[in-house]
Amino acid sequence: MTMQTSTPQKVNSPKLKTYHANGPQTGDNISRQTLFWLLLTNIAVLSPLFDKTTPWTLGICAICLLWRMGIYVGKVAKPPRYLVTSLAVGAAITLALVSGEIGLLNALVNLLILGYALKYIEMRSVRDVRAVVIVGYFLIALTFIDHQSMLNTVHLMGVTIINTCVLVTLYQSKHNWQHTAWISAKLLLQSLPLALLLFLVLPRFAPLWLVPNMKEAQTGLSETLAVGDISKLTRSSALAFRVSFTDASPIQAELYWRALVLEDYDGQTWRQDTGIKQIQKDAFFFPPSRPTPARQFTPLTQQETNNPQPVYHYQVIAEPSHQSWLYGLDVAYSQDDKVVNLPDYRLYALRNVDQRMGYNASSWPKAKMDLTLSAKQRQINLKLPADSNPRTLKLATEFKAKYPEPKQRLWAMMGYFNHEPFFYTLTPPPIGRQQIDDFLFENKAGFCAHYASAFIFLARATGLPARMVTGYQGGEYNPQADYLSVYQYMAHAWAEVWLENEGWVRFDPTAMVAPNRIEQGFDAEFSPEQSYLQESPFSSLRFKTMPWLNELRQRFASLDYYWSLWVLGFNQERQNKVLSGILGDVTKTKVAVFMSVCISLIGLYIAYSVGLFRFKREQDPISAKYQRICQRLSKFGINRPAHLGPNAFAEQLIDTHQQQSPEFCREFDTLTQSYVALKYQQLADRDYQAALKRFNAAARALNWRLFGPSKQLK
Amino acid sequence: MKRVLTALWQRWLARRMPPSSEFVLSHRSIFILPSGFGLVWIGLVLLLYLFGTNYQNNLVIGLSILLLSLFNTCILYSYKNLAGLRLRALTAPEVYAGETITFPVLLTSSHSSHNISLNYPSNLAYLLKQVGADEVQALVSFAHDRRGLVSPGRLKIESFYPLGLCRAWSHIDLDNAHIVYAHPIESPLQLKAATESGEDERLERAGKYIAGIDEYKGLKPHVLGESLKQVAWKQWAQGRGMLTKEFEQPQGDPVWLTLVPDPTQLEQQLGQLSWQVNHLSQQEQYFGLWLQRVGAEDLILTPDTGNAHRIACQRALALYGQNLSTQDKTDKLTNNQGVSHKRPLPPHGQGVHAAKMEPRR
Repeated sequence: MTMQTSTPQKVNSPKLKTYHANGPQTGDNISRQTLFWLLLTNIAVLSPLFDKTTPWTLGICAICLLWRMGIYVGKVAKPPRYLVTSLAVGAAITLALVSGEIGLLNALVNLLILGYALKYIEMRSVRDVRAVVIVGYFLIALTFIDHQSMLNTVHLMGVTIINTCVLVTLYQSKHNWQHTAWISAKLLLQSLPLALLLFLVLPRFAPLWLVPNMKEAQTGLSETLAVGDISKLTRSSALAFRVSFTDASPIQAELYWRALVLEDYDGQTWRQDTGIKQIQKDAFFFPPSRPTPARQFTPLTQQETNNPQPVYHYQVIAEPSHQSWLYGLDVAYSQDDKVVNLPDYRLYALRNVDQRMGYNASSWPKAKMDLTLSAKQRQINLKLPADSNPRTLKLATEFKAKYPEPKQRLWAMMGYFNHEPFFYTLTPPPIGRQQIDDFLFENKAGFCAHYASAFIFLARATGLPARMVTGYQGGEYNPQADYLSVYQYMAHAWAEVWLENEGWVRFDPTAMVAPNRIEQGFDAEFSPEQSYLQESPFSSLRFKTMPWLNELRQRFASLDYYWSLWVLGFNQERQNKVLSGILGDVTKTKVAVFMSVCISLIGLYIAYSVGLFRFKREQDPISAKYQRICQRLSKFGINRPAHLGPNAFAEQLIDTHQQQSPEFCREFDTLTQSYVALKYQQLADRDYQAALKRFNAAARALNWRLFGPSKQLK
Repeated sequence: MKRVLTALWQRWLARRMPPSSEFVLSHRSIFILPSGFGLVWIGLVLLLYLFGTNYQNNLVIGLSILLLSLFNTCILYSYKNLAGLRLRALTAPEVYAGETITFPVLLTSSHSSHNISLNYPSNLAYLLKQVGADEVQALVSFAHDRRGLVSPGRLKIESFYPLGLCRAWSHIDLDNAHIVYAHPIESPLQLKAATESGEDERLERAGKYIAGIDEYKGLKPHVLGESLKQVAWKQWAQGRGMLTKEFEQPQGDPVWLTLVPDPTQLEQQLGQLSWQVNHLSQQEQYFGLWLQRVGAEDLILTPDTGNAHRIACQRALALYGQNLSTQDKTDKLTNNQGVSHKRPLPPHGQGVHAAKMEPRR
């Protein structure tokens, strides 16, 4: 595609413009305008990726950018080729070495960024510019992997426009940046309707192969729970996930979102059992399964059919946590193909939640978990660390002696937290090695993890299998879009105890100490400024106290929610839903017809906007009217020869038709005279208006006379 | 096979876009295909779609679809860029064998066309950054090294606007055949008086004209700085460009340049004559040209002087021994040669040279 150009001869004619052919196409030269946009593009494309880059990459990028700026202002020469090559090789080797540490995908992203920066600095020809632009688009796509909010999308759309500007400058001559930006934006905006349509109808596939993940700092709940972890989360105002219920939604106090079940306790830390960990690890290749809780409720009697078991259907949009566990109410089951149902009644994603992920789930609150307990499970859930918390063990024996019936005993323990002067706080005093003893008998102050740990320890000590469950409790309702937001500060820990004939039953000792926390939500118990807002001074959650600002906040939040639901979560299922909404039942022919209609409409729209229909320049209205009358006259056998001017034609016409239709001739004379005056005379404004008036009147009159099937001039 | 296809293609082109000195590009004459970069672009779109699918990222899929749609928009833009472009061929300046011919082409556009390159096959391209409603002149070069009638063939008009994703192009025949004069070879003057008896010295001075005011000599292209009083405004109004009227006065008797063809070095002889014609004209000498032909009547140009005469002689030399298949071709050529008539042009500019080139009876 390189084009050579001749050296044009000088033509010294005042009328003819000669363009010298030294445009951007002449091989090695890249125009200044292109270089300017490249500078801008480089910053725009790379800045959103800064969190992915290693310091080395960042440094090299900065050097390249500065060097390029130097070249642009003419202070520095181009770097020698060997320098660029050796830099590139060095960087690639370094990245290969650290790729294990930063993750394969991150290494690849860094490699791409480095290639981009280095190509950028040694760019010599138009071909290099194009390569840089193509890689630029790819980097924008990479940015989309974990920047998916609406604002980010608008921002990256802007970056896309800037990147396109570089291409625009290669082929257009106007040297001002506004024009370039406008052309680029116009091109992209005009492409938008077709893109939207294709987005709607193009088929969606499941992932075709396993791709490497970003290695990211995990957020949210952690796999282990050392007493004290949750208090860290309560300082975070970040969103954890959002839920919308299809029909009814449970009350606030019932919103226990299970995420993790921790069964191993070593006296310090709660951990997942190794068995379940192994299942999680193999989940991608050997997805575990369990029967849906709905099976427990196959209607047996007429009464049961009339009084169906409560069931909640809901959709969750989980924020990226870079971990795999998902959230569900008791007892959750999901049929989505990217979600597996673990045997401990949790939901688990096949891949890490690296970007917003939506899934459907249903919960049967009355269903029972594990009516039978295997010996191994029983053993796991009864195990206590050796030589620990002797005072607690003693208390447990007392409970056992006093309340032989398990359920009574458990409620007595719950009551213990209520009667004794326990205090619920997010900043508990430190505890020593005998955690539970210190908490129960010394401090008597702590938060959910303390209470749950102590409760489970007591239960296990009295011979009841019990385990720790972590997750979230509560949710903030958004009336605008009818969904619940669950934030990180709603993180919670509670206990489950296995009872004969009832399976695992939830016990939340925190509810005994701070009932408001459970029944009315986190805010009822703690002041936001003291907890989750402490470390996020700019969080929009600060607006909660001001009603109208809060409404605004919720409006934005609901917009973001719809965005996640309809754009980020647009999958085959939603596609079908939309199409069947438009077409009734979806058949291939219908889709094809729909597609072709839409595409032709969009094609017409684009064709119109690029001016394909305005190809013939419109005549000025005066000439058009005159021509129309001449055309109509030809129906009466009066043709105006091309060489005859209007005056001569009028003379000829009047000569021949004066006898039969004098009225017509008079009108035509007026028309001709005013026409000639309007077209060929320099008229003052007032005279022009007068002539125009006369002309229009005559034209109207003549059109009226020429109208109709009559072959005789009236 | 390839040759057959090319021939078929040329015939199809000729039927679809017949030769004409003025041409407006429209849907009949514009072809659009993706450029190499366009194919890379499609590759990028597919790659992004795969990438988005594998990461189940709708925004990446959206970006890939947007880029695809952008490609579609570019096709329309590139069509619109060329459609409505009006090309008009002007007569090329005189040129001798071995020199590159530059064909001037005037372009206007009904809207605004960008980044248009013009070239003849296997010749250098001329790039115009923008063509608007005002006429813009492009000088399209065409290398040719033999004398005679040269038809450059189809002109390729090409544009990659707006993003370089597609190549919109057209091949049009602007019907601008041109006569390339014989390559001048410097040589001693070989003048003969009509009586064949005069001395050389007198011959040198005989038949000279000097610039003056008595007799109208002809028209020549206007050079910036020449008096505007001399400009041939009438011709300018006819759209034939800026021309200057020249005047002169005679001095002395006519002499002859003759060609006695020697088949082994005909080209050299013609070249020498070409040089002499120019030399004598520069000296404003009065001379005639007598070309002997084998198997045909001799071609005689009666003694005369001035630029028109020089051109007539050069044309005779350029076309010597070449078969001009049809009469209308020569007619058209004389038509094109608007710059050099001694008398004011007859209504349609015909006849002057035809009369001069008539064989002697």
